[in-house]
Amino acid sequence: MRYCKNCHIHYDTDLDHCMFCNQELEKNEENPSFYKFSIIKKKSRAKFFYRFFIFLNIISALVSIYVDYLSGPPLSWSWVVAVTNGYIIVMFLLMWPASLWTSRLSKIIIVSGLTIILLGLAINDYAWAIDYVFPLAILMNMIILTLLILLNRKKWFEYFGNLLILAIIGLIPGLLNLIDITTVTWPSSATFTYAVVTLLGIFILPSKSSREEFKRRFHI
Amino acid sequence: MRKSKYWYKLDNAAKIFPAVSQDERSNVFRLSFYLDEIVDPDILEQAVNQLLPRFETFSVTLKNGLFWNYFSHNHRPFSVEPEVAQICKYFKPVQNNGYMFKVYYLDNKITLETFHALSDGTGALHFLKSITFNYFKLRGFDLSSDDKILSEKPYSKKESEDNFVSNYDKNNKLNLKEDKAYHITGESFNQHWVLLLKISFHTKSFLKMVKEKYQVTLTQYLTALFAFSIYSESLDFVGKKKPIKALIPVNLRPYFDSVTLRNFSLYIKASYEANKPKWTLEEMLEVTKAQFAEQLDKDILHGRISALVGFEKNFFIRILPLALKTIAFKIGYNILGESISTVSFSNLGIVDLPESMKHKVIDADFVNAGYGIAMTGITIHEKTNILLASPLKDLSIMNFFVQHLVKEGIDVTIDTNYREGYDEIL
Repeated sequence: MRYCKNCHIHYDTDLDHCMFCNQELEKNEENPSFYKFSIIKKKSRAKFFYRFFIFLNIISALVSIYVDYLSGPPLSWSWVVAVTNGYIIVMFLLMWPASLWTSRLSKIIIVSGLTIILLGLAINDYAWAIDYVFPLAILMNMIILTLLILLNRKKWFEYFGNLLILAIIGLIPGLLNLIDITTVTWPSSATFTYAVVTLLGIFILPSKSSREEFKRRFHI
Repeated sequence: MRKSKYWYKLDNAAKIFPAVSQDERSNVFRLSFYLDEIVDPDILEQAVNQLLPRFETFSVTLKNGLFWNYFSHNHRPFSVEPEVAQICKYFKPVQNNGYMFKVYYLDNKITLETFHALSDGTGALHFLKSITFNYFKLRGFDLSSDDKILSEKPYSKKESEDNFVSNYDKNNKLNLKEDKAYHITGESFNQHWVLLLKISFHTKSFLKMVKEKYQVTLTQYLTALFAFSIYSESLDFVGKKKPIKALIPVNLRPYFDSVTLRNFSLYIKASYEANKPKWTLEEMLEVTKAQFAEQLDKDILHGRISALVGFEKNFFIRILPLALKTIAFKIGYNILGESISTVSFSNLGIVDLPESMKHKVIDADFVNAGYGIAMTGITIHEKTNILLASPLKDLSIMNFFVQHLVKEGIDVTIDTNYREGYDEIL
């Protein structure tokens, strides 16, 4: 135990000076005091580099647009750079925080699909992106989640939310096909069909546990 | 029997926490027991994992629904960790096997840090007592629970009950409008570090002093002294329109015959107006006493519970998708949440341990690192520990508080997580 003669306070820790008056504390060697908390270490600079990396990407996009603009409108190549920088930032933000790997995978596939469409728009050739890449990426992700559910039935509810969201997104390529935005039919039709079958499966074939999962997910 | 699947809706108090918690505002509180021996982490981990099936409300993970979050069963193994330097540190459940509480060990200390969405101080104290009891049992000690350890009693469904909802009365709702309060401002520590000042004194002599000299309770005295310290050390308070408001959580279980382990507490407030030119401690004590008497009334508490539950039962709020609710909660909390209080004082009361455990648990901490300076209290073995947690570097309010206790003739012992040399880091 230590004691501040000035403040008349006992200290049950190993400080040498009083916190309030800064006077040297009297030490009682027969009854020693210890620090009872974990010692803080200097902060790592990881967060600074994280922010710096995002900052560099924003600067890269802005400088590209500016240089491209100086060579006369309309903007051309700078869109590709800006979309790529944007993709890197979004991916970085998605990967940094801890989350379930299935959730990350779904987000990565959706963001990558959208980026490819944006790149297609940037180079004025987006048909391949919405005809093939976007629907097939969603289809692939739905198949992965379906397999995970079938292989790991005990944890099916972990993947349920992602599968439901992807199945709803999976309807989009079919709708784009209906309004003649996409030209190649089979990838969109395959994704649309798989999405419809998945949704019907979810809603029409509920087991007791899936009914319970619905109750949880949609409780109001 | 261990249930394989169960889930709960979040209780009324818990609903907002997932949306508004972050590094700066963790909404995590800490309970620690200091044992008479060095803690063995392997046995501690075994003790927690053995208990989890019994404590269903802690053995859960947070999930997102379309309209609300919910707690779903979690059967993953739980891991204990060495104590971290940052008190009440924000953590993501996904980095903690889905669990919303942490169990730390450091030398002879077991610390339970609980996310407030899961439980309040009373629920967490039951859990920590059970963990410690089970730890000693696994260490080979033959202990008797004296009917004071929850894990030694059979499970009751009432432990998992949402008593906010079960006590809802749509015909008895009070208006919950709150005015803004005075705020303590200043330079904060780096790294979201919170300074802890533990003030210990002998309970009986302190109670004797407050009863004989001021005719108030321990909580009333400490609330008033806390407010008086802020008033005395905040030069910009007088003349401002905003009052000092101390929020004091009240355990509602005794009022509504509840044994739930989930949140079941409500704040009452002690408010001290800024337009009064001069305050004395005695005047603040009178105001505190009167406000406590007025607000600690079962009908009033019931009316406030109903108003809070009525809000979540509002049809338009219910049908709002979770993503939009989260945004609304964040905006609402930033505008209103912290503006209605200056400080808080949460007194957990006496740690009631079985006779066989009393000599094995030598001390206890209870910390709630909230907005501004948060004061908490816990009493164990005739000793009361008042813990002041502050993210601010200015110690003048704490100094005034301690010096006043010394002036009252209280023999004060201090402990802190501050060390010489921290000024260079923080």
